[in-house]
Amino acid sequence: MGAVADEASLIARIAAGDAVALRVLFARHHVRIYRFIRRLVRDAAVAEELTNEVFLEIWRHAKSFAGTAAALTWMLSIAHHRAISSLRKRREESWNEGAACALPDAADDPEVAAQKRDAGAILRRCLDALSPEHKGVVDLVYYHEMSISEAAAVLQIPENTVKTRLFHARKRLSELLRQAGIDRGWP
Amino acid sequence: MIEDSEREEIEKLLPWYVTGKLAPSDTSKVERFLAEHPDALSQLQLIGTERQETAHANEAMGWPRSGMSDRLMASLPDSVASSRGHGRFAKFGQFLRMPPVRRAQWAALAMALLILGQAAFIAVLLTREPTYRLAAGAHADGAAALIAFADDAKASDIARFLANFEATIVDGPKPGGVYKIRLRKPDKSQPDDILLSKLAEHRDVVRIVLPSRD
Repeated sequence: MGAVADEASLIARIAAGDAVALRVLFARHHVRIYRFIRRLVRDAAVAEELTNEVFLEIWRHAKSFAGTAAALTWMLSIAHHRAISSLRKRREESWNEGAACALPDAADDPEVAAQKRDAGAILRRCLDALSPEHKGVVDLVYYHEMSISEAAAVLQIPENTVKTRLFHARKRLSELLRQAGIDRGWP
Repeated sequence: MIEDSEREEIEKLLPWYVTGKLAPSDTSKVERFLAEHPDALSQLQLIGTERQETAHANEAMGWPRSGMSDRLMASLPDSVASSRGHGRFAKFGQFLRMPPVRRAQWAALAMALLILGQAAFIAVLLTREPTYRLAAGAHADGAAALIAFADDAKASDIARFLANFEATIVDGPKPGGVYKIRLRKPDKSQPDDILLSKLAEHRDVVRIVLPSRD
């Protein structure tokens, strides 16, 4: 049995009320779901709560799983929706893009200043400073290794929009890096 | 400019070209463009770095607190609490929900049975795959995990899986088909979680991977 068929049968068992199947699905995917949500909401406790809500929603709506997409795509789609709704409800602070990528200043202790100068650390801070919309597509493609169609299914947007969104996210990343003192020569 | 719009169209595809998730027709299109415009190759390196740091940022978040699964189960409606499923998974779940005394009684019985079961299991693995060894050579300073094999995993796949991770079964099967394994940590400074997540990626062989306390 392939992994996709295996997961579909697991969800079918959840739809039939098999709570142990839910526990198995949870064991397999909760870390991935948690990380995806936490990257968007930037709060560990909220991310844990939302992760549980995602699996509760899977429990309640397993019958609606069409099986045409991979189970993970379906689950990440629920997770994305939950995370964005939560951000809206919390009237999330405006994303202070750029602040996280700041250059070292005189008030920094030597360790902080050294970290700010480390190119990898700067890039990570700038990735973290992207808007949720941009960060979501970056994570889906780079970390969750989703194809264009899979990312489109998770974000519920057309495939061309996925391509354009990631393109603009990368451009925005270049801008943030430039503000932090790194010109990577693109665009 | 036609070339500018073509460049932008190709640049939009490059992230998926780097991750290997591009459709074959688009892959050919990208490769043709890169052959004609070698200056665009520098983009691949930028994307590779973005990808690496995105993975780094995700992995650095670690794992959620333990006990999430129990909290999830506790939040299911009461109406399903007494009839949670069927089959082998359900029996395992029922076992976990038993009062401690009854669980201990069942565990004692299971211990007697597991010796026979484990012996049979090992015999199958040893005869089919000579690279597998039980307990001897276990990595005492490695990582420990509780795993359950996929229902349709073949003995040869299990043996290969254990050999690849330099893992040894040190206990089991416990009720529910759960085994305790010890495995080598290639990088001692790496958190066990990362190693366990690599185990969990082999869904064709394992259906459950959980951290073990010792």
